[in-house]
Amino acid sequence: MGDTVDVRQRILAANEAAAAELRRSFQAQGTLVVNLISSPGSGKTTLLERTVERLAPGLRLAAVEGDIATERDAERLRRMGIPARQILTGGACHLDARQVQTALAEAAFPPVDVLFIENVGNLICPTSYDLGEDFKVALLSVTEGADKPFKYPAIFARAEVAVITKADLLPHVDFDLEAVRAQVAILRPGGEFFVTSSRTGEGIEAWCALLERRLEAKRA
Amino acid sequence: MHELGLAMDIHRTCREAVAPHGPGRLEWVKVAIGELTAVEPELLAFAWQAVTQDGPDAGARLEVEWRAARQCCPGCGGTVERPRGTWLYQCPTCERVLAVEGGDELEVLSVGFVPSGEGAGDG
Repeated sequence: MGDTVDVRQRILAANEAAAAELRRSFQAQGTLVVNLISSPGSGKTTLLERTVERLAPGLRLAAVEGDIATERDAERLRRMGIPARQILTGGACHLDARQVQTALAEAAFPPVDVLFIENVGNLICPTSYDLGEDFKVALLSVTEGADKPFKYPAIFARAEVAVITKADLLPHVDFDLEAVRAQVAILRPGGEFFVTSSRTGEGIEAWCALLERRLEAKRA
Repeated sequence: MHELGLAMDIHRTCREAVAPHGPGRLEWVKVAIGELTAVEPELLAFAWQAVTQDGPDAGARLEVEWRAARQCCPGCGGTVERPRGTWLYQCPTCERVLAVEGGDELEVLSVGFVPSGEGAGDG
């Protein structure tokens, strides 16, 4: 018969070690780092475009974009005037901390106040991978179901901030905003909740004010 | 399908843990998986098989201890039972909003290790 060996180690210990290194380096540089997670097509890149319009050039912004294929998202943000690095995962459904380390080393961004990491469009797999961020943001567009927080509880429990997108479409869809708010409040008591529209600009000011507040708090 | 990456990490973690025990093979691995990790135990078992099938640990069993997240009432202090995959809005006893605890476990607990030379017929 074999021996029983006690292990008691986190499965993602290697990722967590890389994330801890990233976090130390972001802390030393005074960079606020935000990990954006949502389904494909929820409007992550579009929210970032509006955010760049509102915050740059007062704040120095940069982005790391995770996608399975194409440079498209990074190009969109470069057109907005901020440095952006694309990570092509070639089929992998999430970013991990080592990929972010490599991307940042290769990109050699100038000093940055706020770094956005736009994860691969997926509400499931990115949840478990710490990227050294200050907080995760879960985006949910009003064209998705209002039962989504309870169907994907992991991400809504771990994201400190929930952002509802495409709110300009609310009159046209059956989306119970208050039900979503209640579900998020249960999974993440005390979390921040924003209702936004990148088309009309609704909520963008409040979202950007949160980023400014958090950056100030990090540097205090 | 991040289970494949996790299975590789589990295997590496196990191998590091048994390295001081010399050569041999894994017989079983016990892992704890929390409800809020977005990991599907059946997919993890399938990925584990794929990761180990061509090496010395082929056939090692992956045992998953499922850890449910708990919905606890800050009012009456009770943990409220609920069917897996459902969530409650409020405490059925005192109607307070419930808090969520635990469910984020993602851990290798222990492994069964057979040193080389033991067990008849080992390769």
